[in-house]
Amino acid sequence: MRPLTLHRLLLQCLLLLVILFFVVILALKFGAVPVSLYALGRDLLRVLFGQSSGISSDYGLIIVNIRLPRILLGIIVGASLSVAGTSFQALLRNPLADPYVLGVSSGAALGAILALIAEPHLTISPVFAALLTPLGAFLGAAATITAVYFLGRRQGQIDSSTLLLGGVITASFLSAIIMFLMNTLTGNLRGLAYWLMGDLSTSPQKSVYWFLGIGFLAATGAIYTTAGDLNLLLAGEKEAMHLGVDVPRVRLVVYIAASLLTGLAVSVSGAIGYVGLIVPHAMRLLFGSDHRTLLPTAALGGAIAVVFADTLARTVVAPAELAVGAVTAIAGAPLFIYLLRRRMA
Amino acid sequence: MNILACPRLRSAACTALAAFLSCAAPSRAQSAPTVSSGAPAFREVTDEVGRNVRVPQPVRRIVSLAPSLTETIYALGLQDRLVGDTDYCDYPPDAEKKAKVGGAINPSLERIVALHPDLVLVTKSLNRTETVRALAELGISSYATDPHTVDEIITSSEKLAGVLGVPEAGAAIASDMQHRLADLQQRIAPLPPKRVLFVVWTQPLISVGKDTFIADALRQAGAVSIVDSEQSWPQVSLEEVARLQPEFLVFAASHAETTPPTVEVLATFPGWRILDAVSNRRYAVISEAVNRPAPRIVTAIEDLARQLHPDAFVEKPENGRQKLEKENPAGNQQLSSHDYLSPRDPQLDGKTSGGGACAR
Repeated sequence: MRPLTLHRLLLQCLLLLVILFFVVILALKFGAVPVSLYALGRDLLRVLFGQSSGISSDYGLIIVNIRLPRILLGIIVGASLSVAGTSFQALLRNPLADPYVLGVSSGAALGAILALIAEPHLTISPVFAALLTPLGAFLGAAATITAVYFLGRRQGQIDSSTLLLGGVITASFLSAIIMFLMNTLTGNLRGLAYWLMGDLSTSPQKSVYWFLGIGFLAATGAIYTTAGDLNLLLAGEKEAMHLGVDVPRVRLVVYIAASLLTGLAVSVSGAIGYVGLIVPHAMRLLFGSDHRTLLPTAALGGAIAVVFADTLARTVVAPAELAVGAVTAIAGAPLFIYLLRRRMA
Repeated sequence: MNILACPRLRSAACTALAAFLSCAAPSRAQSAPTVSSGAPAFREVTDEVGRNVRVPQPVRRIVSLAPSLTETIYALGLQDRLVGDTDYCDYPPDAEKKAKVGGAINPSLERIVALHPDLVLVTKSLNRTETVRALAELGISSYATDPHTVDEIITSSEKLAGVLGVPEAGAAIASDMQHRLADLQQRIAPLPPKRVLFVVWTQPLISVGKDTFIADALRQAGAVSIVDSEQSWPQVSLEEVARLQPEFLVFAASHAETTPPTVEVLATFPGWRILDAVSNRRYAVISEAVNRPAPRIVTAIEDLARQLHPDAFVEKPENGRQKLEKENPAGNQQLSSHDYLSPRDPQLDGKTSGGGACAR
């Protein structure tokens, strides 16, 4: 492992930021309604100079009020899922771990749906009511990763294939419960079914963005403080313990933070799969597996991947839209198989 | 979907729905114009899910997010004001030429914005609340309908006509629908209702619940669904159907996709042979208008009533079609002539129906 220099980390992040910038421009430019680059530049400059009220054209409305919030949501969701995937992979010492594959996304979805069901029966202030769904998603995610962790343990050590199987089985079990709930309860089920596939088409209110942003920074920050320990954990839990890593504490911090990231992402966008799997792999190939660089580059890479996938979801069958989860699964599932085969070879 | 926003919206919708239900009858909830002081640029109406909607006056540009609403707009003669509709809006055929904004569940907000609508029409059973909320955040007014019975389809169409500024057209449609239904009731009222299974989908077998407008349309046609479910689209066990043995199977022809299977095809499906309705060829196909809460549903109801109760239409022939039926021997032979409704048939029906006539 090459020694980390601030210079190199900044350079890598800068490279990814430039790519993200171009993907965002692409996402702003393309959509169901064609927008010229000139109109795009003019409207963006107006927003930058705080003159958004001067935008009168519906192109401005489309860019500023429809595409931009959606892109922002894609950035936060992609970064969250990717950081969560990176953390699970390090902690479970399994390169195939991902919130979706491990069933954590399904757990978060179930938690969110249970919160939706419980919400009308509780007498709570509206401010707290808005937080109930992400809270439910977080608790669902945390409970699932705990269950999967214990399912994957054999004689005190995590067994890689048992863990993956445990995750897949847990995901299918939770999906069955969700199906059951959706069949027994009436209400806005069509929306739920669409959301379950992973969907960014409806942006939440502004206050939710603040909540998401702060939650993401706090959780990612917490995980980053353990980046060095995660590097040592790659050698094995016992080995890391001998090297002075407080393994139970790291495990607790990372599981809680990664569950929070997954819960936040799922509560606004449903289960977008494989982002937490592909992106960390690509970043490891590009920049190495030092978690001090891997975590920030994975966050940026996740943002790039989801914004790009969502642009495809918006445009390939325009004016109708695909669920972004379908796009990431089409790209991600074959890659998962490839990685699995390579590991077994 | 963003479910963070859901609780707030839903509780608001619940309160509003309660307020809506507390009105004695849906017709009492008629739009009450409250012209704002000074500028009469818009008026506030309460839609059928209880939201207060600011409707710009006059409504010049309409986007419809449901096939039924598109049909209603045409029936009201407002097709020139319809600037956009969904990929599934295929009736009347002219509706297919309108600018498309995507599907009902996943429309493109961008396309809707670019069409500058004064009002977007949605229906609760088809569209998502997230779409409505996103439109509200973009400053676009949307009006929601939510009919659950044939009577509510009539009042809903009439109320919508008022909102769109053509109350006379609405009243004409409503009275036409009411007269035709009353006429139908006169004919079939003495006859016992047929026990039917309305087949939405064959594999898996999906039927309709008792609180849907389709179940009510069956009742109006002198039929009663054997399925007694609270759900809108229940999946039904074939065993249960075999136990209840419906007298007739009812299919809706869809000219967009596959035509319903013929009796011969049905008999090849595993288990279907044990249904008496299949072995006796008791089988009715009506236009897909029955699936759409729009004025044309009356045509589908009349058609179904003719197929289920041919005797009620034999005595006093009034037009060619009924004369034709009189000449045909009533019974299975005559029924099987309905096995294949050609895809054009529903449209022909629509042209001769009051719904189409009102458009002129």
